[in-house]
Amino acid sequence: MGRTLVSALLVLSLSTSLSQAQSTWTGGDDLPTSPLACDGTPAEAAAQPYDGGEPKNAPDRKGKEITVVDVPKLVGIGYFNATSKGIAEAAEAIGNMDAKTDGPSRANIDDQITLIDNYITSGVDGILFAANDPVAISPVLKKALDQGILVVGYDANSQPDARQWFVNQAEFNGIAKTMIDSMAAEIGEDGSFAIVTSTFSTPNQARWIAEMEAYQAKCHPNMEWLETVEAQEDNILSFNQANTLINKYGDDLDGIFGMTSVATPAAADAVTQAGECGNVAVVGLATPNAMKPYVAAECVKSVVLWNPVDLGYAAAHVLRAAADGDLKPGDTSVEAGRLGELQVINGSEILLGAPFVFTKDNIGNFDF
Amino acid sequence: MNYRALLRHETFLAVLLAIVLVVLAWQSDRFFTVANLLNQGRLMTEIGLIAIAMTFVIATGGIDLSVGSILGLVAILLGVFWQNVGLPLPLAIVAAIAAGTLAGLFNGLIITRFKVPPLIATLATLALYRGLAEGISQARSVRGYPEWFYVLGQGEVLGIPTQLWILLIGALIASIILAYTRWGRTVYAIGSNEVASRFSGLQVEKTKIALYMASGFAASVAAVIFVSRVSTTRSDMGTGIELDAITAVVLGGTSIFGGRGTVLGTFIGLCLIQALKNGLSLAGVKGDGTIMLIGAVLILAILISNVFERSGSR
Repeated sequence: MGRTLVSALLVLSLSTSLSQAQSTWTGGDDLPTSPLACDGTPAEAAAQPYDGGEPKNAPDRKGKEITVVDVPKLVGIGYFNATSKGIAEAAEAIGNMDAKTDGPSRANIDDQITLIDNYITSGVDGILFAANDPVAISPVLKKALDQGILVVGYDANSQPDARQWFVNQAEFNGIAKTMIDSMAAEIGEDGSFAIVTSTFSTPNQARWIAEMEAYQAKCHPNMEWLETVEAQEDNILSFNQANTLINKYGDDLDGIFGMTSVATPAAADAVTQAGECGNVAVVGLATPNAMKPYVAAECVKSVVLWNPVDLGYAAAHVLRAAADGDLKPGDTSVEAGRLGELQVINGSEILLGAPFVFTKDNIGNFDF
Repeated sequence: MNYRALLRHETFLAVLLAIVLVVLAWQSDRFFTVANLLNQGRLMTEIGLIAIAMTFVIATGGIDLSVGSILGLVAILLGVFWQNVGLPLPLAIVAAIAAGTLAGLFNGLIITRFKVPPLIATLATLALYRGLAEGISQARSVRGYPEWFYVLGQGEVLGIPTQLWILLIGALIASIILAYTRWGRTVYAIGSNEVASRFSGLQVEKTKIALYMASGFAASVAAVIFVSRVSTTRSDMGTGIELDAITAVVLGGTSIFGGRGTVLGTFIGLCLIQALKNGLSLAGVKGDGTIMLIGAVLILAILISNVFERSGSR
């Protein structure tokens, strides 16, 4: 029963991929794209009015010591250990800011809400959060704003009016630019590549692919787009799909993009096992821990994601700037310590900057 | 029934609660304020409603592990009935609560008709109902309820959180039923000796089915309050809430083997846990430390209660 189901699914996915192969469809969505400039000039920030909230009757905190609590989705995992490390680093650099991290032990909306509620009662000056649910967290954050507490989000947003600012780790066109640029650097301007994605309808992946297509057409027009295949974020399927690509295109295939944190290590594994390291480049979105073996073996040169330490660091700086009145509704940028000026986008979001590329030299510094 | 032993456990708990309140108030000046205590009442209502029904279930020697999943299922159904089916919200609430009560009835039927131990039966429906909730919701959440609905979970009546009234009234009715009615005594009798109860002509099966239905109903009401409090529905709502409820019940002196327990004890146990969670957090203890301390208090309370019982009542 299980076996027939699996084979039926395989036939089905094969037939869809066959029909896709005939068209020139790439797996991107139909939404309008906004490719970045080829030389990395920041895009003109569309003037969008501030849509965040405002703390009520906030005391003047300019230059004063403030206590801040950081409430991630959950504690005890590498990713959020890295963000809280960044926050602690920023608090130390800033000086007049006392920050601690306390989060639920499982990614549970109720635990997180209760925790924030308790910190509101205990009278903190600021709350940093990564929401487990954008809507469920909003009432408690609004309550914090009503009591004059500064509220800044990172990693996962709430409703805009329930917080002041949100530090956005990466925009779709930013990820797309870094992916294509890294690939072009590895396989050259006339190389050809294929993509392993989750499914054609997964919103984030479809958006990234559409932006990659637009950016490639604009900035690296001679690269050839061979095919996009689906792999359901399944380890074995991702491996098989990457393997098929290697066999199908042979020497014509210069590079593979992995669009999910499952597909990228699986593609790297397929390339390694086919003995094609050095001939077929793998570039993709993935977490460093999964990629360390392949990066160490020099089979993969660039892993694209954002730097969670910088994300926490930026969030802490944004909160301090909001406390000091250096970041007000309508501002277009904010100073964030060693990260320099960060841009305000979409009304009340702060863009962390270009995505981070993990390479052989820096990947050892990350554990998530 | 041994009233003296019961009295001892609850008195001891109440003293413990008083000590905890004093210590915590001393640790943080923001703990013992009317606003904070009322807010804690708001936060403990969902667990409280479930724990009250759970007191009855455990007093018969049973257990209901599926309450968290029923909560999740009812929350999802509320959203689906309202948004996808298009029922008016009050009707959707009633329909969702009815569905949750049916889920409880289903528990009761499996346990009584097929003689499946309650632990196994509700462990199975814990998975079943959560799976249903996830399947129906397709990982989508329903939001944007009308403003009046939030009065239930975020509003106040006469200066006290709306849902706290529901909890207090529910607790009052439940404690009267358990302590002073024939039906309540049937619950204790089943817990003490099910075979003897059956031979005495008590309606064991009917009582049990009614209890599991009541447990499903309480979880459903908690679900509606929860949705109103957080203003959205998600299929993972209420995961793990069964353990919080059982902890409060057991801490409150209800014997896990049945035959003993009061709603008052559960209520004090509930307040004790909530006070510890909140007060320790305000005093600067992190989440993981708080959980450890609650575990220690639970063991301590039960140990001391056992010592009292042995030396006192025999």
